[in-house]
Amino acid sequence: MCEDTDTTRTLNHGFLRDHNYVTEADIISTVEFNHTGELLATGDKGGRVVIFQREPECKTEPYSQGEYNVYSTFQSHEPEFDYLKSLEIEEKINKIRWLPQQNAAHFLLSTNDKTIKLWKVSERDKRPEGYNLKDEEGRIKDLSTVTSLQVPVLKPMDLMVEVSPRRVFANAHTYHVNSISVNSDHETYMSADDLRINLWHLGITDRSFNIVDIKPVNMEDLTEVITAAEFHPHHCNLLVYSSSKGTLRLCDMREAALCDKHSKLFEEPEDPSNRSFFSEIISSVSDVKFSHSGRYLLTRDYLTAKVWDLNMENKPLEIYQVHDYLRSKLCSLYENDCIFDKFECAWNGSDSVIMTGAYNNFFRMFDRNTKRDVTLEASRESSKPRAVLKPRRVCQGGKRRKDDISVDSLDFTKKILHTAWHPTENIIAIAATNNLYIFQDKFN
Amino acid sequence: MEYKVEAHRIMSISLGKIYNSRVQRGGIKLHKNLLVSLVLRSARQVYLRDYYGGICLSAQQAREWCEGEYMDSEQDKLVPGSKESMPESDGQSEVAVDKQEPSNVVESHAALDVESEASGEQDHAEDGVLDSGCSELKTPEENPEASPTFEVPNGVTTISSNCISGPPPSNPEQATETPNDCQTDGSESVEENSLERTVPQTCTNRKRSADDSELTDSLPKRTKVMSPPLISKNDEKRAETEEMDTSNVSSLITIFGSSFSGLLSSEDGAQPDSEADQDSDSGQICCDQMLKNLNPWSTAIVAF
Repeated sequence: MCEDTDTTRTLNHGFLRDHNYVTEADIISTVEFNHTGELLATGDKGGRVVIFQREPECKTEPYSQGEYNVYSTFQSHEPEFDYLKSLEIEEKINKIRWLPQQNAAHFLLSTNDKTIKLWKVSERDKRPEGYNLKDEEGRIKDLSTVTSLQVPVLKPMDLMVEVSPRRVFANAHTYHVNSISVNSDHETYMSADDLRINLWHLGITDRSFNIVDIKPVNMEDLTEVITAAEFHPHHCNLLVYSSSKGTLRLCDMREAALCDKHSKLFEEPEDPSNRSFFSEIISSVSDVKFSHSGRYLLTRDYLTAKVWDLNMENKPLEIYQVHDYLRSKLCSLYENDCIFDKFECAWNGSDSVIMTGAYNNFFRMFDRNTKRDVTLEASRESSKPRAVLKPRRVCQGGKRRKDDISVDSLDFTKKILHTAWHPTENIIAIAATNNLYIFQDKFN
Repeated sequence: MEYKVEAHRIMSISLGKIYNSRVQRGGIKLHKNLLVSLVLRSARQVYLRDYYGGICLSAQQAREWCEGEYMDSEQDKLVPGSKESMPESDGQSEVAVDKQEPSNVVESHAALDVESEASGEQDHAEDGVLDSGCSELKTPEENPEASPTFEVPNGVTTISSNCISGPPPSNPEQATETPNDCQTDGSESVEENSLERTVPQTCTNRKRSADDSELTDSLPKRTKVMSPPLISKNDEKRAETEEMDTSNVSSLITIFGSSFSGLLSSEDGAQPDSEADQDSDSGQICCDQMLKNLNPWSTAIVAF
């Protein structure tokens, strides 16, 4: 159940669309902080990427602790058409991953169902002035008017953020790409679709290596697909991928060129008492994240979030019930397709708290050490700037407190699928359909 | 009884989802379709639970035996067989529904190829039966169990090959035929089916988003058309549906648990008793057979 935590959550900044109706293209489909937390990137169904930058803290205003403002917006992917298969390729951004910063520019990878692109985000705040052959507007000068030579100098100008595509990694996936992950070697990255995982070099676009292939010889024998994949944060040879059967496989690229054979298999035996028609669906892992330490894995399936220890394969270390009250409603959720929602999960910087989203614009945080958890809501009404978020509670019958929400009045169209946690501070980004909420902790 | 209704309902919903996935933007989503097919299989297994255990083994063996065999040579045999069995399925409205569904599964995967075969077939008053509970599968059909079970795998592989060969571009053309047909059927089903309140029965257009509307649209056509895959399933399903009538309620309860708690209360007694249509009956039996042995993935994945 939810309890008050020591810290209060205040709304730092909300990027809320003005209109009440939701344009499908505006639906946020991925959220990702960069490695320092200075930049926050969101991708939407319309193929656009919006980057927010945290303003430096201003000492004169102690409460404006670095708010996030829009830094750049660009169109990453466009809708395409596969003429061979007569299929439309959606421009929805499935994942964004930042590269570790190596120079003044920032690089990020964005992917839709088929194509991954590397974007360079750079600033320009100076421009040369004083050309000899052209004037300030760029028109060619009449040579007869040039009487002396001058050296162009760099003068400050208004900050301009330039985004340019540096690489396009295409034509490597037959199935829909669901994950990308940058390796800790900062040179390679992987992209995973339903049946295969490819390894790329960031500088080479016309070639990729297939490292995992679970496509059966006969597609009729297909029993599981890859749902998420990630590289280990420190060991460049280790990667993990999750399957629709609820299993995790840790692969070591040193073992073989093709990592079909896993090094470790993390699987929890199914509880026969909970068996139902939808057992397979709710056991499908929708997201997997390594902890920052690299010691643990966080997975999310439909009803639970689980923490696994890399050293223990037979069962998870911790299981957190996100919204177990939905277990009796699986049939209805199957009918309205909600049971296929893919919730993401996130670690905090110290790996002590995990966070994941739920319905009715609720999101939940679980403290692994104190075993306390909280349910919060991301909504316009409850989120005025500087307002403290009130913990919410879902009651399942029985004694109902004031402000409790009953299970039947949950709005299943308002789902929080994508969340992100700042790498070091307690700042979280919550994507609620087409709105982005950024909350930050304020210790009392 | 009620659990069969629920299982049947879930099967129809699943088929609708698979069907709809074809027209969704972005192409067929493998993961979702895989999950839907697993639910479909589970529902089917529960639905056919009573005699599934007994026949299961033989069916499995039969299927393995028939793997890879092409059905072409057998289609002729099957056609007469199915025609014979059709008259036997009287008063099996619910059975008809089941038959239709599986064929729908197969054909929805088969890039509309099979559907196109079925298009043009009208006069299926039992569209709505799709949604009705299939609890009255009592009358054992006379079809020998052995031969039908052997034939189903062939049907499966045949459908697969159909899917492979079916050129996608041809689908739209064929699909256009169906809406007209659907309209008639849809209205009929609306009148007759009262069970599926949650599923809109007025299917008049293939483009409608309602899962079952599209489902019922194509269903009647399938049962009418004596396409080889259907026929093969006909025989097999007939044999298997014979023993479905008595369900082990307690075991079903344990299986379903709370998943159906909300549904059962609203579903009891809502058994549409649409008059038995022989064709739809055979189609339903066919569907049952299909569900029992066919991996719904075969065509979808192959097409994918």
